[in-house]
Amino acid sequence: MSAVVDEHDDHHHDDHAHGPEKGLLRWIITTNHKDIGTLYLFFALAMFFVGGIMAMIIRAELFEPGMQFVEPKFFNSMTTMHALVMVFGAVMPAFVGLANWMIPMMIGAPDMALPRMNNMSFWVLVAGVLLLASTLFMEGGAPAGGWTLYPPLVLQTGKALPFAVFSVHLLGISSIMGAINIIATIFNMRAPGMTLMKMPLFVWTWLITAFLLIAVMPVFAGAVTMLLTDRFFGTSFFDAAGGGDPVLYQHIFWFFGHPEVYIMILPTFGVASTIIPVFARKPLFGYSSMVYATASIAFLSFIVWAHHMFTVGMPMAGELYFMYATMLIAIPTGVKVFNWTATMWKGAMTFEAPMLFSIAFVVLFTIGGFTGLMMAVAPTDFQYHDTYFIVAHFHYTLVPASVFILMAAGYYWLPKWTGNMYNEKIGQLHFWLSVVSVNILFFPQHFLGLAGMPRRIPDYAVQFADWNMISSIGGFIFGASQLLFLYIVIDTIRGGTGEKVTDEVWEDAHKHGLEWTLPSPPPYHTFTTPPEVIPTEHI
Amino acid sequence: MALALRTAQADYTLNLMKGVTKVSNDIYDLHMLILWICVFIGVGVFGTMFYSIYHHRKSKGHQAAQFHENTTVEIIWTIIPTLILIGMAIPATKTLLELDDVQDSEMSIKVTGWQWKWEYEYLDNGIHFFSSLDEASNKARQVGSGIDPRSVPNYLLNVDKPLVIPTKKKIRFLFTAADVIHSWWIPDLGWKKDAIPGFINEAWTSVDKAGTYRGQCTELCGKDHGFMPIVVIAMDQPDYDVWVKKAQEESKKGADLSDQSHDDLVTKGATVYAKNCSTCHLPDGKGVPGAFPAITGSAVIKGDINTQVNLVLNGKGGMPAFGKMLKADELSQVITYTRNALGNSVGDEIQPKAVQDLLPKTSSAPAAKVAPEKPEPIADMSKDELVNLGKSVYASNCASCHQAEGQGMSPMFPALTGSVVVKGDINAQVDLMLNGKGMMPSFGHALKATDFAAVVTYTRNSLGNSVNDAVQPSVIQKLQLALPAEQDDDE
Repeated sequence: MSAVVDEHDDHHHDDHAHGPEKGLLRWIITTNHKDIGTLYLFFALAMFFVGGIMAMIIRAELFEPGMQFVEPKFFNSMTTMHALVMVFGAVMPAFVGLANWMIPMMIGAPDMALPRMNNMSFWVLVAGVLLLASTLFMEGGAPAGGWTLYPPLVLQTGKALPFAVFSVHLLGISSIMGAINIIATIFNMRAPGMTLMKMPLFVWTWLITAFLLIAVMPVFAGAVTMLLTDRFFGTSFFDAAGGGDPVLYQHIFWFFGHPEVYIMILPTFGVASTIIPVFARKPLFGYSSMVYATASIAFLSFIVWAHHMFTVGMPMAGELYFMYATMLIAIPTGVKVFNWTATMWKGAMTFEAPMLFSIAFVVLFTIGGFTGLMMAVAPTDFQYHDTYFIVAHFHYTLVPASVFILMAAGYYWLPKWTGNMYNEKIGQLHFWLSVVSVNILFFPQHFLGLAGMPRRIPDYAVQFADWNMISSIGGFIFGASQLLFLYIVIDTIRGGTGEKVTDEVWEDAHKHGLEWTLPSPPPYHTFTTPPEVIPTEHI
Repeated sequence: MALALRTAQADYTLNLMKGVTKVSNDIYDLHMLILWICVFIGVGVFGTMFYSIYHHRKSKGHQAAQFHENTTVEIIWTIIPTLILIGMAIPATKTLLELDDVQDSEMSIKVTGWQWKWEYEYLDNGIHFFSSLDEASNKARQVGSGIDPRSVPNYLLNVDKPLVIPTKKKIRFLFTAADVIHSWWIPDLGWKKDAIPGFINEAWTSVDKAGTYRGQCTELCGKDHGFMPIVVIAMDQPDYDVWVKKAQEESKKGADLSDQSHDDLVTKGATVYAKNCSTCHLPDGKGVPGAFPAITGSAVIKGDINTQVNLVLNGKGGMPAFGKMLKADELSQVITYTRNALGNSVGDEIQPKAVQDLLPKTSSAPAAKVAPEKPEPIADMSKDELVNLGKSVYASNCASCHQAEGQGMSPMFPALTGSVVVKGDINAQVDLMLNGKGMMPSFGHALKATDFAAVVTYTRNSLGNSVNDAVQPSVIQKLQLALPAEQDDDE
């Protein structure tokens, strides 16, 4: 609990502290964590809209029964590419961008530990996503076998298959480099006195996420490489006719895939745990139990993968084990939700856009958690599996959870990054439009799934028509509302409300994190000498 | 919207359906139990949160408390959810065990998923057919068809030939697939099961109430994944028996093998093409570059007709083996059609009879009967010779199910080691192998007499068995000659 005494070297440049390159080159060769963070965030925002356009195509085709706009195969390409772009192009890079910007500032470090690798991991990501996007224009179309790329179906992909596989390799390399950088930074560059158990939860959740990334990205790369050799080099890893097993791929994929979904949600938890205390004007409740719960969830994520595969015909022992293990995840997740609620309890809350998005996250993520628990129960999953019920479930854990928290983070830190205040009125409008439309979009999908509508179908029986139309309307409103966010980001960078913000921006924020002790916007290089005293409010 | 037309469609529900089996009802109860637990917890947590949001706000002048941890509370809200989870796991485990029990089933149906249709084989009475999307739905679902789906009864949930099952009987389903993974789901039965190429999955049902139950493929299987519905009609036993008779008659109908004029072949081929080929190769034969080759100007079609016949009959890559799906006359028509229409004009043709000769002998269509050659007498062999030869016959014909060491794969494929059949009367074993039983195919025609005798002798004197007897090829030869002709439906 204190102000930080930091000299910010910007007033007396020596040979080591220089400003950014001039012009466009700055963004290409930069090794500055703030510049790279900005690149990641803008790239993610762009991909959010690219993936969003694909979602709009999907919802337009599903607006009414009958095929109106696209061929079934292109529809399948859209669901596949929407998922891949949103997961690997939008949500993951956005959190890496936040990590780049915030981790050094939160732990009192001058930059990331490996700045050149930082630059490389960003540009490899761009190459990977562009390669993936280019498959849309190839003979035979983009991959259309679902983002899970299950064989044998995915082996029927046209010319795009090897390009998609190589793009996964590039994305994996980029993620692993980013993860190594984050781990190296957190372990080596914390300011004196910043012990592990004093780190902000955002840093903790990213540390754990980085280990998940290093553990599972190579597994995914291996799986897709086996697809490649099955298709082109005569192996039969996944071909029963050659002694292989198509279900083996599913095991390998979900050994990657389940931790992958937690890679997208753990940093979300971290941001929520950062924002809620500031606007409740209270310390986070149960800091250490939050850290342990995050670690437990990460551990459990490795041992539950086959709950995605209850219908493939596993032995009874396997079904029972994966059911029990999956149900266990509810416990640490529950602890987190209870802790956030207790943090709000008896606070002095205000409801600016970051807090609104964070509260919506807690509520709507919990709903996604409930349906997750329902699906953990294997016998009921025999009904839910591969229906719109699961589409509703994972979108609740991704859109009003991860994406809402990314919005919250944007509103929360934009004033710090730019030195300008965003337009709160438009922010509130953006929130209310988003929170209402996201529920119109996804809640009816629970009904559709329970009533028997399978997922990944371009057309449906007419008894599903009404809820699909409502869902599509929600989708269009949600999609359009996000243009407000784009407007706010640009507007804030260009001056926002014109009001210059203080160093701490939010009332008493300096008690909650080191970044609020720096000027707004922070100078190009910060903490070239470590801060001497660190805030302890969050403990 | 379209309320008037609702009557033609299934009733709409917001919740899971109870279904028509005991298992589906158990699953429904389990679903409701967990749903209410979630609602209860949700009301508690969200209630607390909204109370706090309303009362503990700065604008109302509330002062923030500064408490920030309490180990007792953390322990309480870890233990209570654990207890709730245990309460959920117990009924879940019971239902799961019940679902898995395929013992004592009264009949078996093998279900094979194809891109994009279902194949049904009744293992007990030989009924066998393919089931695909009905024509009305198929027309309406084309992009820009201009047909209002609401005018089509059971749009996308109707098939040309439904699966018919008797009520109140325990039916075992065996699932597999011919190309990619599919998944077979009828919500009213309470479960879905994946159909995986090269593997066999099991599930069972016992339907209480006669009626028509509809479902769909639920594993993404390519472009027409949304267009391969499943319809099950459950009939009471007397009605079912009538249906079986009729279906057996139907199955026996073979192809019309009489020669047809060139123009007839082409005309009829157009219909076969529209139904079976146009989904991928497109109605105009232009194909989809990179995915489905064009028929128009195709090198295969312009080349030797035998190459094309071979490709159509046996499939290649994404192209299914139509030899298993279509009859000889349909095959000859569609092949002739593709060579002389859709922008091609090769000018030749193939007659049904020629196609029939190329079809695999196990096809249900009648094969051109070849008079059995007068068998050469076979010399006797010693037991050791038979065992040695039997080893390789076993490896290529039996080991995939009964396993290399004869340990079988419980519960589907019985172990041979210590098997009562193998240890019992040799004639009973020979009879079982000649005629098959359940999943066990009949090897009567599939194996040469020598190989047959060798493998019987091998199983009785190896794989952990030592009955110490043998059967001679000449004995088997006599039994084989006495077997009914291979195509028992050839009349």
